[in-house]
Amino acid sequence: MNAAPPPAVLLDRVYASYDGRPALEDVSFQVPEGTFSALIGPNGAGKSTCLRLVLGLVRPDSGRVEVFGGRPGAEVRPVGYVPQRVVIPRGFPISVLDVALMGRTGILGPGRRPRAHDREQALRALEQVRLGDLARRRFQDLSGGQQQRVLIARALCGEPRLLLLDEPTAGLDTAARARFYALVCELQHAQGLTLLCATHDLDAVGEHADTLILLDRSVHARGKPSEVLTSGALGRAYPFPSAHVHEGTGEAG
Amino acid sequence: MSDFLAYGFVQRALVTGTILAVVCAVLSFFVVLRRMAFVGVGLSHAALGGVALGVVLGIQPLLAAAVFTTVVAWIIGWLGGRSEVSEDTAIGVFFPTAMALGVVLISVSPEYRQDLMAYLFGDILSVRRGDVLPLAAFSVVGLGLIAYWFKELLYLGVDEEAARAAGVPATPLRFLLLTLLAVTIVASVRLVGIVLVSAFLVIPAATGQAVARSLRGMLVVAVVSAMASVALGLALSWSWDLPSGAAIVLVSAALFFVSLAVGSRR
Repeated sequence: MNAAPPPAVLLDRVYASYDGRPALEDVSFQVPEGTFSALIGPNGAGKSTCLRLVLGLVRPDSGRVEVFGGRPGAEVRPVGYVPQRVVIPRGFPISVLDVALMGRTGILGPGRRPRAHDREQALRALEQVRLGDLARRRFQDLSGGQQQRVLIARALCGEPRLLLLDEPTAGLDTAARARFYALVCELQHAQGLTLLCATHDLDAVGEHADTLILLDRSVHARGKPSEVLTSGALGRAYPFPSAHVHEGTGEAG
Repeated sequence: MSDFLAYGFVQRALVTGTILAVVCAVLSFFVVLRRMAFVGVGLSHAALGGVALGVVLGIQPLLAAAVFTTVVAWIIGWLGGRSEVSEDTAIGVFFPTAMALGVVLISVSPEYRQDLMAYLFGDILSVRRGDVLPLAAFSVVGLGLIAYWFKELLYLGVDEEAARAAGVPATPLRFLLLTLLAVTIVASVRLVGIVLVSAFLVIPAATGQAVARSLRGMLVVAVVSAMASVALGLALSWSWDLPSGAAIVLVSAALFFVSLAVGSRR
């Protein structure tokens, strides 16, 4: 008997708190393998908490979280993580390749240094994000958009099946955002990746995502972008005159 | 100058100083990466409280200081891992508290005051024969642990959240680093002194990053410059009867400014 494959991400009636405050209440959703889902919602809506649950960095107070049918964090390998940004102390000589190679850490395990094979893998990942020729440059000399692409390459080095992105375009200009999401989608289709992205960037995910999940402690709407973006729920979650909310430098929700 | 090397205590100071230079330089790499300079300052001053505690309780002062400073490091780490208190604030509370404890204890034990200058600024004469072997053993274990966890420590210093997500044991490694810092600081007290040892946990890496273009280069320059600082500093200390710690730190600062000048020319 062949059961259907488990979804890449499953949250089932999840309650979770963060710093002692309730962050998620009765949240349920699934991300089918090979699709692009975006978590949208105001700051403090619990988007980052959702990602941290999937990474296994936070445990739910109650409810069930599964990643490819297993416990989150049990197997590191299938999940890659792209944060909002990485800040390196000024002048620290970390190259683009060094940062990408960090993505091999989980696979190598302690006591083993990256070898030629790992370096090749990192270079290939950098080529995939079109930064192959900048591999030797200092990470902090790159533009914000380039740095975020390096972080994608770093995540790809871990050979993930699922990429989690936490407001990856905060602080980028409109053109850099559009390029970022176009690249992410291209990689998704080329490698059959599953994407779960927390973002305020409604324009971009409206264009690229398969599913939007509107979160404000609980799931207020879920569906195709065209449905969610035109629903009344969006206006209630974002109490602004326009739905075109852009992310600023505010902290992750 | 040739008679300089003929004395047993000079040889011991050079050997222990070289070992400490390597350990401090490697640790300074992570101190700079993780912006922990203030942790070094706090722990070194806490060491004074530990030394005084040892004197009052009749325990070997440096042993007492090692235990005391490690406990303070763990408390700082524990408080810093919680969200109510930032690591900076935790250190800001503990550094003067431990130092005040040291001053109070010293003022009630008058026989100890003569040694105070040596503990504060280092003394080339104070390295004992029995110090060398334990120090060598500690440095082998400490450097071994850092080598084993190097890429994990690097990942944590750059991006803690992503490192945790990749399965890196962030909390144990933070405590490992804090423990190594505490023990290294206490081990350096005889030669460099409480007041100045924190400088030796920052300057080598700063020198390395000023000239090097890669992580490996930065580490190599840090270690070599720290070793040179110890050798030259001890020679100056011997020739002009200077406190060894002050001489070592001044040489290492001079090397830093040279490397800044060299680095900015490129």
